[in-house]
Parts: sequence; C-alpha cells; structure tokens
Amino acid sequence: MKILAVCGMGLGSSLMLKMGVEKVLKAEGIEGTVEVSDVSSAKGEKADVIVAAPEIAEQLEGHSARVITIKNMADKNEIKEKIMDYMS
Amino acid sequence: MLLDLLSKKRIFTKVKAEDWYDVGRKVGEILLKDNLVEDRYIDAMIKSIEDNGPYIVVGEGIAVFHARPEDGVKETGMSLITLDSPVEFGHDNNDPVKIAFAFGSINNDQHVEAMSQLMTVLMEDGSVDKIYAKDTSSEVFDYINQIVNKNRQEKEGE
Repeated sequence: MKILAVCGMGLGSSLMLKMGVEKVLKAEGIEGTVEVSDVSSAKGEKADVIVAAPEIAEQLEGHSARVITIKNMADKNEIKEKIMDYMS
Repeated sequence: MLLDLLSKKRIFTKVKAEDWYDVGRKVGEILLKDNLVEDRYIDAMIKSIEDNGPYIVVGEGIAVFHARPEDGVKETGMSLITLDSPVEFGHDNNDPVKIAFAFGSINNDQHVEAMSQLMTVLMEDGSVDKIYAKDTSSEVFDYINQIVNKNRQEKEGE
C-alpha cells in the first residue's frame, strides 16, 4: 500500500502526518510506505491512499487515490480508525 | 535532533498574543532574533495560512508555523511559545491554540529527525496541556527532553 501524506508545502504537517501514519502501520502490522508531498505535486502522483488535513483534502477532490482527512494529527486513534476503515 | 533545534532560549512561556497573526509574528521573531531566518520568512509563514487555511493547527491546541527553505531560511531551527491565553485560529476541530511552534529548514530533510521527535512529544497523551501549564522555558524544555529520552530508550529496548 502506498500512502501519500500531503500538506501545503510538503515539509511540515505532511511530515508529521507521515510519522503518525507510520506509527499506526507499525503498531497494527500493516505493510505500507508513506511518502510526503505538497498539494500541487500530489495531484500528479499515484498512490493508494492520500492522508491530509481537511483544507488540503478539499483541493485533491477527484484524485484517483482514496483521500482520507485527518483533523487531529496528534491523535493516534483518529489516524488508526481511518486507516483501519480503509483496510476493511 | 529536536532539542538541538529547539534550544531552551528559543522557548518562551505565557506569551500574550491578540490573534493568530500575532502568534505567528511572536513565535517567528524568536527565529529572527537568533538570525536563523530573514524577516520575510515570517510573512511567508503567515501567508501560507491565508492561502491554505488554518491547517497548521495540526492537533488540538497546537499550531506549527513554517514556510519554505527559499522563503529566507539562513539556518535550520525551531521555536516554541506557550500562550498566556488561548487564541482562535478558525480551525473547525483543534481550536483554540495553546502552544505554537515555528521552524525553518534550509532544505527538505534537515529537520526530519526533529519533526519525528516533535510528533512523538505531541502524540504523548496530555502533553499539550502539560506544556501549556508550565511556567518557565526550563520546565518546558525538561518535560520535552523527558519524553524524547523515554521514547529513545523504548526504541533501543525493542
């Protein structure tokens, strides 16, 4: 599974999201890679899943990847629930 | 590493700020004072919110300001302020902001390890309120240091 963590510039909150998602993948034993991207590059990138804050996710509507919005990046449970929901 | 970039002198507690612009200005000025960024970097951090919305409020009570390396970063570094009273950023879920970070990185990877440790700190249960409740920069620094060390030992023990 390829996951793209996206934010406005690709070096701040996307990086924090990447780390949050990696912690969840590791804890749940899910195979996957997480890369970061800024929102304009993300439009042209392929992935299975995109994780982003709601304002950023809006800009990625229509992307071929499933777009998951994360409101609170410091909340392990929110990330976990949304990833597990995608997996099921 | 986080506490190399976020030294004790770049942490200020109980800072008074009127609105989110003021929060960005005040946390950014710490970087400016240490000669890590140019003045225009602070404007760029603020413009990024005007352009993309308050998504830099990454978790409940936490704002992380930054712009791009080419917006005037001289040296990689990070600053932190805790607010005297919480400030609304217009975020649906995570308002009001109690603590705000700013960072500048000279490239896209020099800050990665520090951000990883920062995430560990922020994901620790109750950490934001604990940081917010501290009175001095030394107490904030020691608390962050404690979480970073605990996590490092856990990793080594795996």
